[in-house]
Amino acid sequence: MQEAAQLVSKVLVLNDDAEVRGHIKAFCDAHHLIPVKPQAGAALTVLKSNVDLGAIFMQETYTGEGGNALELARAIHAIRPELPIFLRREAASHLDDLPDLYRGIFTAAYTTSTIDELAPLIDKNIFSFQYPNALVRGITEITKNTLETQFKGVEVRTEAPYMVRDRIIYGELFTLIPLESTWCRGYMMLQTEEGPLIKYVEDGRTHISRDPANFRDINHVMGEVTNLIWGAFKNRFISNEPVDWRQSQVPLIVNHEHRYISFGSEDPQLCFRYTLVDPNGEATPLVLYQRFVFNLSWAPEKFKENEVLTEDLFESGELELF
Amino acid sequence: MAQVLVVDDSATVRNEVGDFLKKNGLDVVTAVDGRDGLDKLKADARIKLVVSDVNMPNMDGLTMAEKIRGELRNSTVNIIMLTTENTPIMKERGKAAGIKGWIVKPFKGEAVIATFKKLAEG
Repeated sequence: MQEAAQLVSKVLVLNDDAEVRGHIKAFCDAHHLIPVKPQAGAALTVLKSNVDLGAIFMQETYTGEGGNALELARAIHAIRPELPIFLRREAASHLDDLPDLYRGIFTAAYTTSTIDELAPLIDKNIFSFQYPNALVRGITEITKNTLETQFKGVEVRTEAPYMVRDRIIYGELFTLIPLESTWCRGYMMLQTEEGPLIKYVEDGRTHISRDPANFRDINHVMGEVTNLIWGAFKNRFISNEPVDWRQSQVPLIVNHEHRYISFGSEDPQLCFRYTLVDPNGEATPLVLYQRFVFNLSWAPEKFKENEVLTEDLFESGELELF
Repeated sequence: MAQVLVVDDSATVRNEVGDFLKKNGLDVVTAVDGRDGLDKLKADARIKLVVSDVNMPNMDGLTMAEKIRGELRNSTVNIIMLTTENTPIMKERGKAAGIKGWIVKPFKGEAVIATFKKLAEG
């Protein structure tokens, strides 16, 4: 495989022991994790708003929610079962003595002195997929270029791509499009909030200008953004080698009540976050999450960028006359 | 005035391309897929240029082009594909269907308007 991209992942840290904070921070720094610490009493609120977590680090005696930490873990597990929870204990770095009710909630236990033993579990649970650097860099370029053509007068800001285990749907609008090749099979998903996007349409910042705008207008905008990214992805990363269309499929499951989408696989997903910002500060920033879910097949060793032949050197938008 | 038929399932593209062509003095008709495109072309003999997407529901753009030449026996209307597709196989199929040219999206009007006008005015 080509050089793999160094990805990061956000972890929610529920810890109110100041002496241990440094250990957790050092571990996160060493293992490409970005710790997110909620305000006291706000853990569940953070979980409702953050849709892009990789795991949770929790202290057994955490009092930040004003109650029993194990009960808090149970509540978290009930709403976000896909997130591994690592429990920090005072003495035992195992879960054997926990009541049955709680034991199955946690992925593993650790103590301050054994935190490094979590490393293989982090790799297994969050960084189990390796992504070629050229792919990750290319996705960012393609998407940024597309957004710049579809939205007027905005600056597109990107963050370092990261891994997520969350299955929560962000915002009200998402699109899905299949990606089928000899090295990957799965989906690209784009997610955003309806409100800011409607305002962008009404302000004439898209190619559809309508005031008042409705949900169908923004569906069209997101549809075309998805189509353009998909096309550019195919042209750059998917060769003309035939794909066997008789290969397996699995049902996708969407639960509207829980804003939850399952692709049938427990594997972590590659996530990008883009923020459209008006340099003049007149428009609300528009956030788009882009996820790549290679749930059907993933063979990065077969990945390669398509070569561009000299005779094919037509820039996008140029007319190639026959 | 010469008519241009813009065929795309994306309202964004129909708006973007249609508005640009109108601003540049061309008369525009739109269709939402290949089937609708064929109907519009049959109904309006003034259409001299078809600008069409490839991937569309109901009938794709290349099938529509083949039907324009085959079923409609219209060998004079100029057809340009405006698509995210950029594979030689697709282009070869387009050439065989007698299309005039190929543009990979996104649409950049200024780069093509002069040729579009020539093609639309016959």
